[in-house]
Amino acid sequence: MQWNRKDLLTLYDLSGEEIEYLLDTAAEFKKVSERSVKKVPALRGKTVVNFFVEPSTRTRVSFELAEQRLSADIVNMQAQASSLLKGETLLDTVRNIEALQVDLVVMRHAAPGAQSFIAKHLKCGVINAGDGAHAHPTQALLDLFTIREKKGGFKGLKVAIIGDILHSRVARSNIWGLLKLGAEVTVAGPATLVPREFESIGVRVCHDLREATSDADVVNLLRIQHERQNASFFPSTGEYSRFFGIKADSFKYLKKDVLIMHPGPINRDVELAGDVADGPNSVILEQVTNGLAVRMAVLYSVSGCVQK
Amino acid sequence: MSSKKQLIPAEKMWPEIKRMAMAIHNRYINLEEDYAFVGIQQLGVPLAEKLQEIIINETGYTPALAKLDISMYRDDISNRKRLPLIRETDIPFDVNDKILVLVDDVLSSGRTIRAALDAITDYGRPKVIRLAVLVDRGNPEFPIHADFTGFDIDIPAENKIVVEFEDEPGIYCKEWN
Amino acid sequence: MSDILFKNARIIDPVRNIDTKGDLGVSDGRIADCGKLKNPEVIDLAGKVLTHGFLDVHVHLRQPGNTNAETIATGTMAAAAGGFTTIVAMPNTKPAADTVGAIELLRQTALQQAVVNVLPCGCMTVNSEGKEMAPIGSLKSAGIAALSDDGKCVQDHALMRHIVEYAKSFDLPILDHCEETTLAAGGVMNEGKWSVLLGFNGISGASEELIVARNIILSRMVDWKIHMQHISVKESVELIRQARKRGIKVTGEATPHHITLTDEKIKTFDTNYKMNPPLRSEEDRVALIEGIADDSITVIATDHAPHTTTAKMVEFDYAPFGIIGLETAFPLCYTELVKKGVIGLPKLLEKLIAGPADVMGIKNFDLSEGNAADIVIIDPDAQYVIDKESFKSKARNTPFDGMSVFGRIERTLVNGKTVYQL
Repeated sequence: MQWNRKDLLTLYDLSGEEIEYLLDTAAEFKKVSERSVKKVPALRGKTVVNFFVEPSTRTRVSFELAEQRLSADIVNMQAQASSLLKGETLLDTVRNIEALQVDLVVMRHAAPGAQSFIAKHLKCGVINAGDGAHAHPTQALLDLFTIREKKGGFKGLKVAIIGDILHSRVARSNIWGLLKLGAEVTVAGPATLVPREFESIGVRVCHDLREATSDADVVNLLRIQHERQNASFFPSTGEYSRFFGIKADSFKYLKKDVLIMHPGPINRDVELAGDVADGPNSVILEQVTNGLAVRMAVLYSVSGCVQK
Repeated sequence: MSSKKQLIPAEKMWPEIKRMAMAIHNRYINLEEDYAFVGIQQLGVPLAEKLQEIIINETGYTPALAKLDISMYRDDISNRKRLPLIRETDIPFDVNDKILVLVDDVLSSGRTIRAALDAITDYGRPKVIRLAVLVDRGNPEFPIHADFTGFDIDIPAENKIVVEFEDEPGIYCKEWN
Repeated sequence: MSDILFKNARIIDPVRNIDTKGDLGVSDGRIADCGKLKNPEVIDLAGKVLTHGFLDVHVHLRQPGNTNAETIATGTMAAAAGGFTTIVAMPNTKPAADTVGAIELLRQTALQQAVVNVLPCGCMTVNSEGKEMAPIGSLKSAGIAALSDDGKCVQDHALMRHIVEYAKSFDLPILDHCEETTLAAGGVMNEGKWSVLLGFNGISGASEELIVARNIILSRMVDWKIHMQHISVKESVELIRQARKRGIKVTGEATPHHITLTDEKIKTFDTNYKMNPPLRSEEDRVALIEGIADDSITVIATDHAPHTTTAKMVEFDYAPFGIIGLETAFPLCYTELVKKGVIGLPKLLEKLIAGPADVMGIKNFDLSEGNAADIVIIDPDAQYVIDKESFKSKARNTPFDGMSVFGRIERTLVNGKTVYQL
């Protein structure tokens, strides 16, 4: 496998082989973080700009640490999409960043495809740290990494993703990654938030939590956002929790060795009961640890393909 | 297109590897600290495994063996045409105060060894680090020299030296036509 | 201006159902008896098609308000290059064409700068806000030929009913943009497989279908004609088909882009695939073509919507809706519909000439002697590659650049004067 992409935009673009390569590479970078010297000089002399046009704490911190552990020089930029709209265009902003001889731009943006759009116009590498409801490839890679570490592989593995699939970039990227690696994917949640159209790519769609999860090897729960309640997608978080929240009771039908995953931040006792989040099946904190390794692997791989 | 020319046949290569193994063992076995091999990915690893195997068979002593990938420590990642594939690093022992013998197939510019020194010292503070190579091309760009050498081969820099341990063992020269 | 004799052309006149080999004379800006021409310039059109100039009932000229994107001068030159000799100018300029002054300004500017006939269209409601009726009678006196709130849609059904009743009394056709806003809210593309996969907010097909149904009901109630602009979904085609069978005075229009493209294109995030109504599914595209073939849809219109490159070079969510279409309409339709054997050339010309003239209530939109010599000459066999840099339009927002097509507009005459020649 030869990696030759200067950008990581979506998992839809990648082959299963490329995804496996990133997971393999991440496994080596994970060891770096386990040493007492948690740093390698792989990106020494490279400049990475973390350009977040949408608020983020977790993903930004994870990228920043990954960059530091690779010895890159980093600059953080925050902007509001609205101010970009009124003044400079996004393309002008990123071209200005690139003119400072930057090697990589890690970008989050509320508009689907924003990174794909700018990547076409830039020579420097672009890593998508989340674009609206479209894609969040590094989150999906860390989920895949965690699953592979715990379950060994993906062939025939049953993964259920529960929650607001309609608005979730995490769900979309997970679906593409899992399908490309041979897993069986089920999405479930309220009918208003789980579009049937996912069936067209081979995903099972259902609206019953038990049906979706009783044979699942992995259950990935998505954060349910309160603003969806206001937009009439479901009546209340209480009702959401009653029908779609995972609780201790759910283990009556869940597999004993099911992995409980969540991209964070958790609404405790809404989509996931606190005791389950902290329980033996939960790998939520390991996901965070693995996120660092996966992002190091991505930064390393794309930086090696940016033309000088 | 490239053509492959044999420089050292298998029947000369294997005895030389055995001689190296015994020389390393005899040099360090009587010291207070254990010694260990650190094979540099990719072809230093099978060479280090061969050295270890010979010592076990000949003496009954089992030197420890580590695998080290130095891609993360290269100084030329963005100048390379292809992104180096990161291979496994596995150091199953504490390197502090150890005698380490870095093992690689060919010593050429010395840059790989420079990176390996950086990499291994990030794992701790070994007492001594030595270098064993099967082929020394004799023209390093860095002040780096091998302590244990199989063959000194002096051929023009544009020709690549390739060591094979598997299908057709031997040492070859690749010429670009 | 000397007389012209066009010889050996395939002459197609969809209004009078004529398709014949022959000659056509032009004298003093009018179509004339070939025998009475004085020293005519003789032009041999063997292998070429001569027909009446097209009528586009759906054009945005952007003047006043966004003359960086288009002007009356450049927009009408683009029309001429596309074979359109008459266009209906949508009223969503800035300010909107909802006052007598705005209509007079448009007519005056068009008189001085337009190279084709420009028919003003007035707003149905003040500033197209859908709240209060525009001064429709006064606008009629100022010279509007139709009413539209294009780009927006009156959501208040009682208000819409009153507009239809009032418009009928002033003999004004209504051109309606059919979009129920709550089902379209925040949407940037068709709601379907691709919006779901790409994570975009969708515009439900039901949003169009609801208003098409409403308009059919109002048209029947009031017994007045309502033309549904840029129909995009299968269900709308079926509603119009059934309504027309019942004799209800509704008509429907399809755009060249809705019959050639689908929403899958948006996976490239190219903002030249963003328009409203959005590109729909393949099923919808096929249904539109069927509607054209069985005359459920009688009009092809471009929804020519110029935007500057700057405005379109943004994130897909933030890009304005719309693409230009005047200069690509004929070759796209000819390639998609005629070359693929769906309909014949006369039928396509019917959709570009007779159908729109019927919607606008224009009489004599044909090649009879004495009529204005609004003529277009087509080379149906010419194959060429669309090059946006060759456009007369000021704008470049087209997804068709680089596409290979058949059927080229060679020459366009308005009142006997050549306004475009390849």
